[in-house]
Amino acid sequence: MQCCECNYEASTNDFRYLYNARIDSSVSLRQCPNCHEWLAINELKGESIQKIGAGDAPWGKSAGIEGLASDVGIRA
Amino acid sequence: MSEPVLKNKNIENFEKKQEWWWIAEQKRSKKLDYLRKAVWKKGALGGNYAPGIKVDMEYPKLFTDMWRFWKFDKPIIRRAKAVAHVLDNISIFITDHSQLVGYMGSLPHTILWRVDGASIVNEELYNEPGVHAEPENESLRKVAEINEYWAGQTAVDKVARILDPEDAVKFMSGAIGWGAPTSAYGYSTKDYEYLMTGKRGFLDIIDEIDKNIEKAEQETIGTPGPDILPIYDKIQNWEAMKMILEASIRYANRYARLARIIAENFETDPKRREELLRMAKTCEQVPARPPRNLQESLQYDHFIQILARFEAHEGAWPARPDYYHGPYYDKDVNIEKNITEDEALDLIGEFLIRTYEVGGFAPRWAREGLQGITGTWVWTLGGVKPDGSDACNDMTIALMKAARLVRVSNPTFAFRWHPKVEDKVMREIFECNRQGLGYPNLRNDPILIANAMHWHGHPIEEARLWVHQACMSPCPPTKHGLQPMRMASATANCAKIVEYAIHNGYDHVVNMQMGPKTGDARNFTDFEQLFQAWVKQMEWLFNTLVRTVNLGRYKDPEFYGRPFLSGISERSVESGLDVVSPVGDRGNCWITAFTWVENADSLAAVKKIVFDDKKYTMNELIDALLVNWDGYEEMRLDFVNNAPKWGNDDDYIDDIMLRCLRECARHSKVIKCPSGNNWPILPENVSGNIHYANIVGALPNGRRRGDALYDGGISPGPGLDKKGPTAVLKSCGKIDHITDGRAFLLNQRLSPTQLAGENGYQLWRAYVQTWADLGLDHVQFNVVSDETLRSAQRDPEKYSEVIVRVAGYSAHFVDISRKTQDNIIQRTVQGLGK
Repeated sequence: MQCCECNYEASTNDFRYLYNARIDSSVSLRQCPNCHEWLAINELKGESIQKIGAGDAPWGKSAGIEGLASDVGIRA
Repeated sequence: MSEPVLKNKNIENFEKKQEWWWIAEQKRSKKLDYLRKAVWKKGALGGNYAPGIKVDMEYPKLFTDMWRFWKFDKPIIRRAKAVAHVLDNISIFITDHSQLVGYMGSLPHTILWRVDGASIVNEELYNEPGVHAEPENESLRKVAEINEYWAGQTAVDKVARILDPEDAVKFMSGAIGWGAPTSAYGYSTKDYEYLMTGKRGFLDIIDEIDKNIEKAEQETIGTPGPDILPIYDKIQNWEAMKMILEASIRYANRYARLARIIAENFETDPKRREELLRMAKTCEQVPARPPRNLQESLQYDHFIQILARFEAHEGAWPARPDYYHGPYYDKDVNIEKNITEDEALDLIGEFLIRTYEVGGFAPRWAREGLQGITGTWVWTLGGVKPDGSDACNDMTIALMKAARLVRVSNPTFAFRWHPKVEDKVMREIFECNRQGLGYPNLRNDPILIANAMHWHGHPIEEARLWVHQACMSPCPPTKHGLQPMRMASATANCAKIVEYAIHNGYDHVVNMQMGPKTGDARNFTDFEQLFQAWVKQMEWLFNTLVRTVNLGRYKDPEFYGRPFLSGISERSVESGLDVVSPVGDRGNCWITAFTWVENADSLAAVKKIVFDDKKYTMNELIDALLVNWDGYEEMRLDFVNNAPKWGNDDDYIDDIMLRCLRECARHSKVIKCPSGNNWPILPENVSGNIHYANIVGALPNGRRRGDALYDGGISPGPGLDKKGPTAVLKSCGKIDHITDGRAFLLNQRLSPTQLAGENGYQLWRAYVQTWADLGLDHVQFNVVSDETLRSAQRDPEKYSEVIVRVAGYSAHFVDISRKTQDNIIQRTVQGLGK
């Protein structure tokens, strides 16, 4: 997997697993061992998607009437 | 444009944006505004104390000096003398503009260090960065000296030496539970019926003690025999109680003197001078004598709580302020009109702020498990009187109004709902929740009274007096009902039950055989085998924790007696026994079941996906779990999305939940407390779901190690309750909230937009009615939008006053970790009505 911030390449497991706020989403947070940024990872594809900053929500909105969670909102 | 119009426009604007904290700032008096802003935040931010918070060094030195000096005395006498020495000598202060006094530190920014509790906490304190006063080297030298003295002789050291070594190692692994088996840390229900009914102050109690000592001394010079032998110990206990009650009166008098000195020599504002003189009179009256008015009643209550904290690290704050202060509010505001409603609100608002101020040094596990707060200060409102009539009064409403003005995250309120509660009170509860406080939560009084009678045999008149001993657990504040010691070490990390059932009792996180060997689950051929393994692991977990707590309780009169708490408890004043002694305590124990729902969701996933659908084998599942689902993402999503989940009114999983609970309820009557009473379970989490995120391994519900666990109690997993609020209530309503456990926490998130206006109130009332009809015992609400919470993550300074309901407590959103924040945001926002 390649870090979308610093282009560091390593296996997915080498990117430290942090957490996934939504158990039913395949997007999790991992930390790049090189630049130490928090990254949103598509676990199905093994791809880093974006750097996570304050307030970013790679899982989308809350379920319920705020709108069902979806991975659509992820920035490219 | 006149100022009030401008103010009203601003308020409307803030209301639209749901920025309630700005409204509070505009509505509260200047005095309250000053006091609210002047208070130091003692709750840990994530897991760390805020900059500027320092460990108080006066208390540890004064206490340790006197403890060492009286080395030939019995521990109860030593503790009384040591605490009395602190009360006589610790620096005291009066905050500008305040009307209430009392704190356990020598300065407002300090936190108390309980030196005689646990050596491991003392060592952690030494190594904690940022909390030592400057010059840091000097502070560290003092800490090291104190640690050297206490090493090996703290309360936990003494219990650890006699625990079964295997139990001790497993408990200390941190994997299965938390807490410390001693009343040095814990929480005690106070005997409010003895203390707060206006019948007595400390001088009256001292009189009772003197009479008992005199009578006992006569007995010791009577006819020799076994009957008189225990009396010698009782006399010492009574003397310790008396000593500390007298010191408490002197402590209050020190405040009286300070207030007079400031008033008569320094204060130039006549109004403030008058306030200071009133404070002096108040502190001369209470706790020595019973209160005569609202200010004295609030001050009396606050002194009691502070004094108890000089003696032990009290992790909770059981109270029922509307019930016990209500008569004084009525007298002062309604009958005699001594003060206006606004003046009463200033006093009550400050009463909340003085409570928010209280903090002691806690180890990291406690800080992570109670992020943003210093303890579970859950105050009980509403409910019924012993005769079953409605107990709500004007103080109930005043407390909720004051809470909206000061917006502290601690204390929070829990409201005992019953069918006779008036609409005007319900509207106040709704308004607090709509304004995002996350409290009061609702407790179903008829259910919980029946529950207290079922599990612990409390008589109905006492059960009707119940207060929250901590976040959730009811306890009567009465002579035989009060529980003086509830150590959090009967707090079970229940996700480990299913984890151990799958891994044959082996813990792959701490790499140790923890539970019994219940069989290699790779060889299980049907669900029943897995379930029976689960039952055995559950019994082992509960037995291990309860054994530890029971031993601590049994030995604590010797290891950590509590002279102050004894001195304010009728059964000790009467009997001469330390209050921690189980004798005369009816028993009110409970096992706090953290990380509970993961069991039902995981068992249901295995039953459905492995044994019913045969999509994967147990072998494949265990292989995936052992590598934390890495490389098995499609399979993981199968276990999440294609297995039934709790909270959707689906009998497939709801039946599994009931089976689990009923096995626990059966076992709860097998295991007994030192008084011989039961140990029912109480599912809830505080923020233990975050603390245990890296301690619980991957689970069949699709959770990886590292992910937050569910938010607790019987709350469905965040985002997994997809069928609406009624389905959640129906699932939860299948549980018998009287006989299946002691209480069951339910978090619900509602939309602030939907709750606006009268329509919002009516929707909420209808929801509450359904909740009550289905017989649930608890529900609490978060009414803050995604947008506000994400904005708070981006711009924490601007949103520093946003409050959220975490679990059994509320916290300022910016004070909890990012992981906890995300976990709260991902909870389902339930739409009410059509």
